[in-house]
Amino acid sequence: MAYFLQLVISGIVVGSIYALSGLGFVLIYKSSRVLNIAHGQIIASGAFITYALTVWLEIPLYISFFISMGATFFLAMSVERVFLRRLIGEPIISVIMVTIGLMSILDGIIYLTPFGSVNYSFPEFFPKTPVNIGPATISWTQLVGLIITFVLIGLFSWFFKRSTVGISMRAVSDDQFASMSVGISVPRVFGLAWAMAGMSAAAAGGIIGNITGLNFETLHAFGIIVFPVVILGGLDSIIGAVVAGIIMGLIQQFASGYLDGKWGLNGTADVLPYVILLVILLFKPHGLFGTHEIERV
Amino acid sequence: MRHQHVWMVPIMIVLGMVMALTPAAHAEVYKLALSLAITGPTSDAGNPYSKGVEDYIRYVNDTKLLKGDTVSCPIRDDQYQTDITKRNFEDFLADGIVLYLNYSTGSTLALKRDFEEEKIPVIPASFHAGNLEDSNYIFLPIATYSSQCIGLAEYIVANHKGDTPKVAMFIHPSAFGRGPVEDVQKAVAAGLKMDIVEVVEHGKDLDNTAMLQRLVSKQVRYVLSQTVQSPVATLLKDAQRLGLIAKQFGEEGKLTFLGAHYTGGNDLIELAGTAAEGYYWTTSYTLTSEPGEGTTFQLMLAKKYGRDDKTANSHNYTNGMMVAQLAVETIRRVKAKGEKVTRASLYNELNAMNGNNAYSPGNTVGPVTYSPTDHAGVDTLQIYSVKQGAFHSVGKPFIPAFVAKIKK
Amino acid sequence: MSANRWFATGNFFSAYRDEQRIFTTHLDRAIFITFLAALFIWPLCFEVSSKYMLVLDNILIAMVAIIGLNLVTGFAGLISIGHAAFVGVGAYTLALLARTIGDSHVIITHAWPLMLLACGAMGAVFGGFVGLPALRLKHLYLAIATLSFQMIFQWTINFLPLFNQGQTIPVGRVFWFTGEVSRRDHYFFWYYVTLTIVVIFGLSVRNLLRTRYGRSLVAVRDNDRAADAMGMHPGLTKVYAFGLAGFFAGVAGGLHAYLYRGVGIESFMLHQSITYLAMAIVGGLGTLTGAFFGPAAIRLLDLQVENLVGWSAQFLPATMNLATALKPLTFGLVIVLFLMFEPRGIANWWRICRVYIKLWPFRY
Repeated sequence: MAYFLQLVISGIVVGSIYALSGLGFVLIYKSSRVLNIAHGQIIASGAFITYALTVWLEIPLYISFFISMGATFFLAMSVERVFLRRLIGEPIISVIMVTIGLMSILDGIIYLTPFGSVNYSFPEFFPKTPVNIGPATISWTQLVGLIITFVLIGLFSWFFKRSTVGISMRAVSDDQFASMSVGISVPRVFGLAWAMAGMSAAAAGGIIGNITGLNFETLHAFGIIVFPVVILGGLDSIIGAVVAGIIMGLIQQFASGYLDGKWGLNGTADVLPYVILLVILLFKPHGLFGTHEIERV
Repeated sequence: MRHQHVWMVPIMIVLGMVMALTPAAHAEVYKLALSLAITGPTSDAGNPYSKGVEDYIRYVNDTKLLKGDTVSCPIRDDQYQTDITKRNFEDFLADGIVLYLNYSTGSTLALKRDFEEEKIPVIPASFHAGNLEDSNYIFLPIATYSSQCIGLAEYIVANHKGDTPKVAMFIHPSAFGRGPVEDVQKAVAAGLKMDIVEVVEHGKDLDNTAMLQRLVSKQVRYVLSQTVQSPVATLLKDAQRLGLIAKQFGEEGKLTFLGAHYTGGNDLIELAGTAAEGYYWTTSYTLTSEPGEGTTFQLMLAKKYGRDDKTANSHNYTNGMMVAQLAVETIRRVKAKGEKVTRASLYNELNAMNGNNAYSPGNTVGPVTYSPTDHAGVDTLQIYSVKQGAFHSVGKPFIPAFVAKIKK
Repeated sequence: MSANRWFATGNFFSAYRDEQRIFTTHLDRAIFITFLAALFIWPLCFEVSSKYMLVLDNILIAMVAIIGLNLVTGFAGLISIGHAAFVGVGAYTLALLARTIGDSHVIITHAWPLMLLACGAMGAVFGGFVGLPALRLKHLYLAIATLSFQMIFQWTINFLPLFNQGQTIPVGRVFWFTGEVSRRDHYFFWYYVTLTIVVIFGLSVRNLLRTRYGRSLVAVRDNDRAADAMGMHPGLTKVYAFGLAGFFAGVAGGLHAYLYRGVGIESFMLHQSITYLAMAIVGGLGTLTGAFFGPAAIRLLDLQVENLVGWSAQFLPATMNLATALKPLTFGLVIVLFLMFEPRGIANWWRICRVYIKLWPFRY
């Protein structure tokens, strides 16, 4: 029972980090219908900027965390301005490929920095003692990560529901022409969506970096790991990302906790999300919470 | 395709003129080549490795170690992709190399047949035991991963107090990780007294809590890992948080972590921080944290060519350097005999590197020995353990006994 | 039809049949045949190093794969981020056979053309199967479904001992009428084989596009509901597009296995799928010529960057990082720049050239 509980708790912790990483996809897709494949690289750069600020410039962690969120805010915004603005209205494949190209470009840029080939790890900020929840335990880093995740997700949901800018973003995602006609600047909304996605990426990067250490391969692989999460949740639903994130976290924990080592299976945690994704998509082609688009000839 | 050679023409002419003007001392250039992953997966190991090779070759040429003859060793990035490695290799062949340095397990296995057909001696950076199956021309610089894991297993058995030690293996989900599992199992079957309770293949896990608790509940005392640093670091951090890292070797109710060559080194300490304390690691190289003749030379070399501290102290830098040393030494020996440096003569010379001819490059814990039946270089292993943020040697270098036993 | 069958400045079509012709003038056909002949003859006249022959073989194999990818993504508009996995299916079909009956069994070494077909057939089966979700999924969701296939493929190969857990499975040398193809002639031999296959496939796809099956692909891409209303069967079309793409990919996989004389998982990873997509885009999606330009452009670019890196390393030994960063940087930049400034790819430049020449001396 304790083992089961531990799997659940770990699954939720890991899942919420997935959710935070997935949030960036959702923010961008929700407003501009773009799937940003380079998100993993932005996550990685967020983590690296946080590290550089904290360790090399000796700025306290919580400040550098926010500075790096600001930095990726502008990074993502300029990416949108330079590369994606021109592609509004192009076919979906072009847009996907541009982000793939971006992925390569960002890779190249990161290889220019020491982070491309050298491993680093954050100094330990939090107490090393674990936090006990009943018989299960999580680390302080994970707990703080969990809290940040939920605070950020709460903020974003509130932002979309209540604030004027958020409402205009939703309007744009609904109908670009209609929202233009009521005076919303569509390009600005796109830029803003990217910028916010950048912010969430930096937050995710900071947290993941604290948990795994800073290895470029590990960090940018996150961009791919998170795909099943966002697709499962439905690309345009924040709540979907959270639910799907936690589902995926749980699936992975249960898979490695119960499946691995039995019947000669191993490493199922890496493949099971995709299998389940495929199955669910067959029944719900727009994910669990995605909007069903009505197509007309 | 053709125009590519066009711009080469003037350069060739200039080069030719320079060559013609220099006094005709008949200096030979011995061609080696290295293809490895400087970008892409495992680039954190490949990068210092390439610098080690590059620096030593430059050192040889700068200090005229081969008496006027020089060694050329172009280094190419293959991004850990076998297709590119093959292309590089074909290019190097056309260039007339006499010895080839390879890198990854995957490409070494893929090109094995080419090495056989070309009869070219190859020294890879992968110590996978499978490299040696059905192959005559691959020479591993140090003991195989299998030997390393068996060495660690023997260390566990020798130092464990109480009944049969229970061991789990934590491995990379690939041939590189799985290779040694079978050999350790063979060693157990051959009489090594330990239980392999579980073999865990890791994914890209962010949380190993459940796995660690499962291991503890199965009374596992030792975790033997064969993978790269990053997953081990995550594992160690989780174990530290749960208070599961043994203070002394084999502490009851706790876990003692051990690992083979690519799990350790300064990168692990970088990634895992204090959680690396008490981690046991084995390799055949000497480390800069334990100053000696070999490490002094290594630090001098790194300083001479302006490498940063991180590179200078990396065991992968040592690794690359040692491979270059081995190649140059073989060339030197062939020359000393007055033979022509060819693939065949180098191959024979490598095979003859045993007994009195064994070669000690200085940065390994034992001599490099090859024979027609033994293509694993340094058989000796040294166990290191992390104390106060640095690896320090534990016990004396040794040769794992079960390696020979399971061969039969 | 213009009176002169050799030269025609402008269009003189008077029937749909004329417009459907592969070669509009005799001159077109003559040039095409000369060009083909040149492709077959030139390796006999020049000494080419193994490296470049290997690069050429690689480009040609990529062309075979891209013809398939272009059908499914370019013509039918179904994004596939798992094309390398289909290529892998083909390669592993051969590998599996090599593993069961021995890598130098007479079936593998002598009946290699049949083997290539078998690889293609297996690719087609898998393609059709993976295409099934396309009946329900669209756009990005479909793209991710193909990505899932890629991931599941990788895991399966990496995990099962049957596939040697992703380690190289050797494949023997093939035989030709003159006996075993030696190491020296290996790349040379496969150049001719692959070139022949590219020509055959190219012509067949060109023909396919003239038929209702080809046109239905384009109709489904442009609007599948409208296509449905026109009496086509969008679901069937999508599945058959995937199946066809799988076939081409499978053949490419078989060729890859023979060329590299072994099959290992590294050549069929997600990264390769992305590279294939990039080739299709740079070449020009939805054009047949694009399938030839794309692979050539991307592979040669890669090679040139490598040469540049090697050349610059002589001057900047300490800046290794700059050199290694160049590869992903240029790859990414090429994709992005093409999409931003020439979304129709190199095939469009080719089209402009042709029209320009055709209209000359009038202005384009």
